[in-house]
Amino acid sequence: MVKKRLYLELENCIGCRSCLAACTQCGGHEQRNRNYVYDVNPLVNRQTMPLMCLHCVNPACARSCPAQAIQIHETGAVLSALVEKCIGCQNCTIACPYGIPKFDTEQNLMYKCDLCIDRTKDGIPPMCASVCPSNTLQWLTDEEIEAKQKQFNLDNGKWVTSMPYLEGETNVRVNLPGILQGVTKLF
Amino acid sequence: MQEVNVKGPRDKFFKEIENVRHPNETLVKTHCSYCGMQCGMNLRVNTKTNKIIGVEPRYDWPVTVGKMCPKGVTAYQQTNHPDRILKPLIRDDASLKGTQQGFREASWDEAYDLIAKKFIELQEQYGKDTLSVFSGVSMTNEKCYLTGKFARVALGTRYIDYNGRFCMSSAAGGFLRSFGVDRGSTLPWTDIHETDCLFIAGSNTAECHPTSMFRVWNVQERGGYIIVADPRETPIARRADVHLDLRPGTDLALANGIVNLLIQNGYVDEVFVSSHTNGFEETKELVKEFTPEYTSQITGVAPEKIIRAAEIYGMAPNAVVMFARGIEQQHKGVDNVSGYTNMALVTGKIGRPKSGVATFTGQGNGQGGREHGQKSDLLPGYRKITNPKHVQEVCQVWGITPEEMPQPGVSAYEMFELMEQKTIRGLYLLCSNPAVSAPNQNFVRKALKGLDFMVCSDFYLSESAEFADVILPSVTWSEDEGTVTNIEGRIIKINKAQEPLGESKPDWQIQAELAEYLGRGKYFSHLKTARDVADEFRLASKGGYADYYGATWDKIEKQDGVFWPCRDENDPGTPHMFLDKKFYHPDGKAKICALPYRPPAEEPDVEYPLRLTTGRVVYHYLSGNQTRRIQFLRDMCPEPYVEVHPETAAKYMIEHEEYVRLYTRRGEAEYKVKITEAIRKDTVFVPYHFGHDKSINLLTIAALDPISRMPEFKACAAQIEKLDRTEVQ
Repeated sequence: MVKKRLYLELENCIGCRSCLAACTQCGGHEQRNRNYVYDVNPLVNRQTMPLMCLHCVNPACARSCPAQAIQIHETGAVLSALVEKCIGCQNCTIACPYGIPKFDTEQNLMYKCDLCIDRTKDGIPPMCASVCPSNTLQWLTDEEIEAKQKQFNLDNGKWVTSMPYLEGETNVRVNLPGILQGVTKLF
Repeated sequence: MQEVNVKGPRDKFFKEIENVRHPNETLVKTHCSYCGMQCGMNLRVNTKTNKIIGVEPRYDWPVTVGKMCPKGVTAYQQTNHPDRILKPLIRDDASLKGTQQGFREASWDEAYDLIAKKFIELQEQYGKDTLSVFSGVSMTNEKCYLTGKFARVALGTRYIDYNGRFCMSSAAGGFLRSFGVDRGSTLPWTDIHETDCLFIAGSNTAECHPTSMFRVWNVQERGGYIIVADPRETPIARRADVHLDLRPGTDLALANGIVNLLIQNGYVDEVFVSSHTNGFEETKELVKEFTPEYTSQITGVAPEKIIRAAEIYGMAPNAVVMFARGIEQQHKGVDNVSGYTNMALVTGKIGRPKSGVATFTGQGNGQGGREHGQKSDLLPGYRKITNPKHVQEVCQVWGITPEEMPQPGVSAYEMFELMEQKTIRGLYLLCSNPAVSAPNQNFVRKALKGLDFMVCSDFYLSESAEFADVILPSVTWSEDEGTVTNIEGRIIKINKAQEPLGESKPDWQIQAELAEYLGRGKYFSHLKTARDVADEFRLASKGGYADYYGATWDKIEKQDGVFWPCRDENDPGTPHMFLDKKFYHPDGKAKICALPYRPPAEEPDVEYPLRLTTGRVVYHYLSGNQTRRIQFLRDMCPEPYVEVHPETAAKYMIEHEEYVRLYTRRGEAEYKVKITEAIRKDTVFVPYHFGHDKSINLLTIAALDPISRMPEFKACAAQIEKLDRTEVQ
């Protein structure tokens, strides 16, 4: 099985929040969505961007967990808290630099994106990337991602669109807004 | 290999992906219930309860490759929704009309008896044409076809029309005039991302047809161009190469201005124009006046943007002109369609792959539903009811004489006028919610309330059902099967995933059974299954130009859909129109139309200085009768709002999220203010998916297009009053 990753191209987001709707439909997600879509400039324009768990290689959420409730799957996916281990301390929600883990106060339990592990462990794309109408979220091989980043690689002092990682190394790859700045027009 | 050939080429977005299969579940391949994209989806069905429990992407559908918008993802939640009507409902106290009160459950037998008795009484007293049928196109071709037959054969009335008059009728009128044929897209959607320029007018594509977007963005990723004409900076306009931010209702001037530049700057395909079109010289003469400066005066778009847009479209090796309700829902909607279509005709960018013209079909079956006899003047196969030969052909299938065929009726909005005048006293409403979607609601609701007898078929108690005497529980799309014609003109198959909930029935069955009670059973009694209706429908369309005869369900399955026309068993269908450069006018030529500009019916003035325009949001569909009941969608967009530019807001001293009174000459409503720079300063926008006192159609104008009879939803004059409060009262 060729390894594939979640890849984000933020420029494409149209704010439909289909990824959030689809998140509730993954069998293991108890109908709760686990990611975010933000209005970038709410009173100005309609730019939006998804904020998905980036599945860090050395995840702060897991490191901060005193109960080892956050496991890392062999695919690299950083899983949601184990129900039997999570003590509800919310360290992870503070530790995550992207603010990803959500907290269920009723169940005293953290929950987060597990990259639809039931799907991705078999190479099936996660629900968000499956449905994303604008190709903001894609499920790609490393080769495909490399080709994308070559195509959009741009650091002209004004735009930086492709960076290896936003902060620490992540399994999810991101292209920031501005990719079109590097495209050569056909005519 | 054989398989791939039969199904046609797969594009680069297509990937072989297995679906997840959970234990005790089966997947039913079908399409979404909502817009014209008709995204492929699998419904997850529990094999123990035989109930629909979820959705799984349909990666193998070539048009949308698994993608769905939030409406599509949650569409399955309609089927077993607690709001479903499970038994026929009768209301004995007519004074409660216009409310949800007074309905009691009844048997089908009692409901049919009552309807037949009332309908026959009314017709005996006031004549056949006192009854009317108001239908919709969010249902299968089979249902649309049978509704036309039911009106003409079972009821014998001339008055049938449908909600496409508020949706696609201007596109139909424009295409018929320009091409002589009305197929919404001249090319398959798998061409869209391969073109070099998309010129998109009056389409909020990212919100209304979201699953087109991965193809749209790919045009830019390849170095192509996107040009968008829209009064609002919609998500697609935000990223466009040129955003033509025109005043609502001024599209024809913009189209003429661009056609003028294309002609002046040498982008005309002389050979194409002289061999395959009429009307060029006349049009050239007319558009001369529309210099960039003059066009700018009318439209409010900067001249250099108009010049650049024309240059890009003119230079593009391949280009597609696309439009939607923004240009069509005007009292010159047909002219707007022909006006923008002129761009493709003068440059010859049509009748070949990757170039053409397309309208974004609004309703699921907006294309098929308008072709087969629900329109006041049409019969199956796009035949005309005024053409004796066409009438003869259909009569043969229906088993009636041409003398029995009713005359043409009137358009949707005009039916409400006839109700108000008591020419029409009875109504059978199905698959539509005009008490939200029609313009000038105060008038329309009064007309509905004044009816002697009204039957409504729906699966939820819609705002329109509140005016009914009898409500018949119909099924959702997932409880019946049949065909739908998508945005491309591709006939596809909707499959049944669950048995009808409660005592609900599909509308074709309701009509066949009701015909029996009306004493017209012999024309319908052979229709026992949806496939029976399909077989009769294909035959009835045979020989018409929207010929579906060869589009059998088996062929649809094998080929991933069939593009009409498809005339016989061996015809694979027609993905690209006009490849032979033959158009459907008698002389085989297309018509370049010389179209004088006229302003919107109601222009702003001192009393009403703002331009009001309406549209959709991504979370809701049409009148919202379905989507407002889905939790996720309601959470995302619970109520309408009015979009106002910050400078305009400052003038009225209103702030973000405060409530204001918005009013026009026809009505008023209160809305929460949404401040955004992504709209013109002279324009306000309100989404139309909401009912009762929140309906923006209380304010809209019923100025109708002379050809399509489309009301001008997209432009009227309005005023804002500050209320000084942040809560609804």
